[in-house]
Parts: sequence; C-alpha cells; structure tokens
Amino acid sequence: MIPGTDSGGGSAGEDDPSLAKRVADRYLKREVLGEGTYGVVFKAIDTKANRLITGQTVAIKKIRLGQYKEGVNFTALREIKLLKELKDPNIIELIDAFPHKGNLHLVFEFMESDLEAVIRDRNIVLSLADTKSYLQMTLKGLAYCHKKWVVHRDMKPNNLLIASDGQLKLADFGLARIFGSPDRKFTHQVFARWYRAPELLYGAKQYGAGVDVWAAGCIFAELLLRRPFLQGSSDIDQLGKIFAAFGTPKPSRWPDMVYLPDYVEYQYVPAPPLRTLFPMASDDALDLLSKMFIYDPKARITVQQALEHRYFSSVPAPTKPSLLPRPPPKGESQNQKPSDFNPQEGPIVLSPQRKLRRVTLDHDGLAGSTFRSEKAGENVKEVRHMDGTTSQSGSMPMSIDLGAMFGSRPPPRPTLNSVDRSHLKRKLDLDAEFDHL
Amino acid sequence: MAANFWTSSHYKQLLDPDKVDVVQRLDKEKGLTLEEFRLIKIHMSLQIWKLALHVKVRQRVIATATTYLRRVYTRKSMTEYDPRLVAPTCLYLASKVEESTVQARLLVFYIKKMYAGASSSDEKYRFEIKDILEMEMKVLEALDYYLVVFHPYRPLLQLLQDAGITDLTQVAWGLVNDTYKMDLILIHPPHMIALACIYIACVLKDKDLTTWFEELRVDMNIVKNISMEILEFFEYCRLDSKGNILIPEDRINAALNKVAAKP
Repeated sequence: MIPGTDSGGGSAGEDDPSLAKRVADRYLKREVLGEGTYGVVFKAIDTKANRLITGQTVAIKKIRLGQYKEGVNFTALREIKLLKELKDPNIIELIDAFPHKGNLHLVFEFMESDLEAVIRDRNIVLSLADTKSYLQMTLKGLAYCHKKWVVHRDMKPNNLLIASDGQLKLADFGLARIFGSPDRKFTHQVFARWYRAPELLYGAKQYGAGVDVWAAGCIFAELLLRRPFLQGSSDIDQLGKIFAAFGTPKPSRWPDMVYLPDYVEYQYVPAPPLRTLFPMASDDALDLLSKMFIYDPKARITVQQALEHRYFSSVPAPTKPSLLPRPPPKGESQNQKPSDFNPQEGPIVLSPQRKLRRVTLDHDGLAGSTFRSEKAGENVKEVRHMDGTTSQSGSMPMSIDLGAMFGSRPPPRPTLNSVDRSHLKRKLDLDAEFDHL
Repeated sequence: MAANFWTSSHYKQLLDPDKVDVVQRLDKEKGLTLEEFRLIKIHMSLQIWKLALHVKVRQRVIATATTYLRRVYTRKSMTEYDPRLVAPTCLYLASKVEESTVQARLLVFYIKKMYAGASSSDEKYRFEIKDILEMEMKVLEALDYYLVVFHPYRPLLQLLQDAGITDLTQVAWGLVNDTYKMDLILIHPPHMIALACIYIACVLKDKDLTTWFEELRVDMNIVKNISMEILEFFEYCRLDSKGNILIPEDRINAALNKVAAKP
C-alpha cells in the first residue's frame, strides 16, 4: 500500500505538479538496462526514503504508448493489474507507477541477474543444494501465484530474476492471467517453445496451472543439465523432443489427449530410463522431475505438492539464497558476456582451470549417454556456445534456421517470436484491429 | 473470477460508508450538493451502460467500469475530472483489464452518435480519442493502479444454485445490476451484495428462505442493511413505466454545469 496514502487523500490539485517532476525529483536516472517488450528499462536511484532505506536502486520501465492509439499498452496493463495483487518474496515487486511526460513508468525493485545467466555462466558450479534452492524459490513464487489463481504462462530462466540478496523472483507477468473462470478459453500460444507443455503444443484452449508446472520442470532439468532440456525447433519438433525423452503418450496415460484440437498421432517411441537423461541427479530429484513431466495435466503434480516433495526435505538442504553462486551483476557482466563463449579457448578462466574442466566433462558425459542420435547435435552445441554472441542476438527467425538445419549451429534460444506474439495479440483482439484504424 | 477475494486489493480497499459519497472540496466550492453529486454518479453509470450496449461487452466490463468511476470520485473532484470524459474512459480501461478490449475509436464514434441531435449540452460530450487516452492515464493514477475488481455475479449464481432457487436468477441478476447505481461495491464484499439481492428477490417473489439464510454463516444484519439501502434507493429514484431510472435532464445538466464552470 505504498502510494495509497499520498495520492489517495488530498485533492488532485496538489498531486499533479509534484508528479510531473517525479522522475527528476524522486528517481535519479542512471544507465539503460535494456529494451523490454514494450519499452526501455533503466536503472535509477530512489532518493525518497522508502521502508527506512534511502538510495535504493530500482529499475524503471518506461512504457511506450504505441502509436498513441491504443492507450496504455495492454501487456503493461496486465502486468500492473496482477503485480498489484501479488506481493511475495519470490515475486518481483512493483514499487510504484507514475505518468511522466505522457509515458507510464513502472518502478520495480532492481534485480542483479537472472537464472539464465546463472545456468549459462560456465564459471559457476551449481551444487545439488544450489539447484534445490533455485528450484524451491521458483516453485514458491509459482505457488503463490497459483494460490491467487494466476497462471504465469511465460516461465523460463530469463524471467526468473535474482536479487542482490540471492532471492529468486518471478518477473514478466505480461502474459499472465487469472484463470478462475472454468469455461474461459485461452490462447495456447504462450511460453517460449522449449518450456511449453504438451497440452499447449496440442492446441489446448482450456488449461490450468499445470502449464507452469511443466515449464518449471523444464527449468529444473535445465539447472541439472546446464543447457535447455528440450530444444525443439518447431512445435512439431518440440513434441518430438518431449516424446523422445518421456516416450510417446498412450491414451491410457493421458485420456484427454486425443480430443485436443491439434492432436496428431506420433510414431511410438518408448521412454528411455530417466536416469540416462540425468545421470547426476539424485533419486529424489528424478522422482520429482518425473512427476512434473506427467503428460496428463490432471495427473501432473501441483506446485504445492512439488514443494512438499521429499526432494526438498532430504539432504542436502537447499542453499541459503545469500550463499548461492551468482554471475557478476548485470550492468558489469554485459560487456564481458562474449568472453564466456570465447571461441578458441572456451570460457575465459576466472576460476581454476580444474573447475572449468569438470563442468565441461559433466556436460559431455551427459550428452554422450543420453540422446545417442543427437550426439552430433551435441557437438554442434559446443559450437553454438562458441559463437554464443550471434545466437544471443536472437534476431534470427527461429522456425527456419538454416544454420541449425545443416548442423552448423543449433537453434537460438527461442522467446515468444513475433509470429506467436502477433498471433497472441490477434487472439486477444488487439493490434490486428487497430491496424484498420 | 474465482480468485481469492479475501487476499485481494479489492478487499483491502473497501471503504467505510462515510468515506464514500462525499463531495470533494473543489466541487463543494462550486456549489455542488450531495444530491447533485449522487445524481451525476447515477447518470454516468447509466451512460456507461448505454455506451456498453453499443460496443457489446460482457456484464463484468460494465460493472468494473462503473466501479472505477465510483472509486475515482472518492478521491478526485468532478471539477478536475470531468465525469463526461471519465465515464467512457473507465469503460475503455475496464474493457482492457477484463481482456475484451474495445477500441477507443469505437467508443468515440458511439459517444458522438449517442449525443448527435441530443439536447443543447451535447457539445460537452464530444471527445476525441486523444482525450480518452490522456484521461486513461489520470484514471489509472486516481485508482492507484489497483485494477482487479470482484463482482457479485459469480457468487450470486453459486448462491442461487445452493439455495435451489435458480428460478429467481433473472430478478436477482437485475437487482445486482441496479446496485451499480449505488456505491455498494465500494463498501461491501460482493457476496454480501449478492445475498442482499437474493433476499430482496425472495421478498418480491414471496419465497421463504429463512432457514437457508440462517444456515449461512454471515451476519444477516449486514445483509438486511444492504437490502434496505437498495430498497431506499428504488424509492428515491423515479422509475418510468419500463422500470428504468428517470433523471430529469435539466437537473443533470445544471449539476454538470456547476462543476464545469470556470471559477
């Protein structure tokens, strides 16, 4: 209830002039952190004492106002609407919002890093306890959302931000929805493809919190493997990758499957033992993982059940957030990023050479023993890491990636691509209609 | 929406009855009386309704829009926030929040159509898209960015089902619609409003639900008080032959002119 007192009470006359100067007055603008989906994000220092802290660093999202036809950006509005309802240590805090020079500004707590950076940083060794801690925080944030009937719908490592105290927080609620109404139809074009649950890939319009659980399972797997787990290059390929890992589902395992709009029958492949995919994982980890990847969303473990799973109560205990290994803060790491993927020598060694070799060895071991058919692909993967700078740019269209097809480069990490986005918007009766203006 | 009301911002934002329906200082200086203030709010709720019929949105959107309108005027003056612009802006914002977007362009089109050839005051209802978009930002701020609103409709259907009186749905639903001409949604939890509407519907249709009400674990005094308020409101409003609320146009215009006048 931060601003309630100052904007709520007095008459409006006192508010406006002070607000207009607020960016200059209250927040000291610093460097640009990045370009978000709907505006620029910059770092700022909050000069106003807030909860006994002065000089708190914040991240301000300046929301672009479309072509001045659609008003406050729809995605931004969703984020505001939901984040005002969600206050939890594992969910990003919306500290303030204000208009300035005709643009809406959202003030978030400043986050140093994100889980993708942790997973990708080869100088970081994640112990079993570290992985457990990151997963637990992810699930805690998600459990809170689900308790409030909010599905996140865009769970992926780079939407899991990491605060300076090590707390992991769910961010980017631009796709999130309240799912209370049982008969409401939703679009299935949500999540970055690699994290999409099978029911979404089969075009389900009515789905629930299970889609977030599947994505969290993918993130868990990614923490264990230190690479994205199921890297499909198209929706069809994504299902293929899923089935290769867990076996083609039979209707007996997932009765509703055959009624899904985009259901197609896949050639039967048996599931390899999960152990072969995750040779380093504990039995408890494997058990939890298998339950998060249950095909039938009705039978899939819930987030709350996952948190109560014995994986979290067995040794080792999850690492305290403040002790978790983290990459250098975002601002500083940005210039160094390419060095992590140095083509010839591998990562620039910041830690002892031994450590580096151990990570790489695990990596090869994993790849070798898992998808035999994909062994070639795995080697290629190394190449990808080497020219990581190009794949990071993400400017490539992802459905047709010649590099990937000819084996010179696996697909870049997909986000919601422009096709999906525009499809999504059309579904929501948004931009497409504005085009007629 | 089945999300949890008790942990929502809506619940935390519920107001004391004496904090609602208070004429803002600036408006008072312009000579706006409490009755005129109420009349304008009723009138604008009706305008939202009419406009919504043109653009065809769900009932929730209308209800959310009206709630926004009423919340705005617990904090802001009509002098600074022209109700004629705030009303359509609330509908615009609510349509986005409830995920069934109506284009500002369409709203502007229908506002013009609605007031074309109307009385002398129609000039003041003429807005451009730009005006709505500017006001949207101000309304958001006035709402303190709290946008999720719960409504009595869902609990109403569940309660009617539970009581086994689904034949009263239409009457009770209509009553719930009428409650948005009052500030009840700012004061009471939605399910209490739903219960009050069921209570009235039972009285109207001569159904005895005493035992069912007794078994509910709610404070029946509050339910009865809300019901009384609704009934008083009906007495207060003059209704035409179709049961629509009639507000003399000259009174509305006089009230609106007060707040619109330059000091």
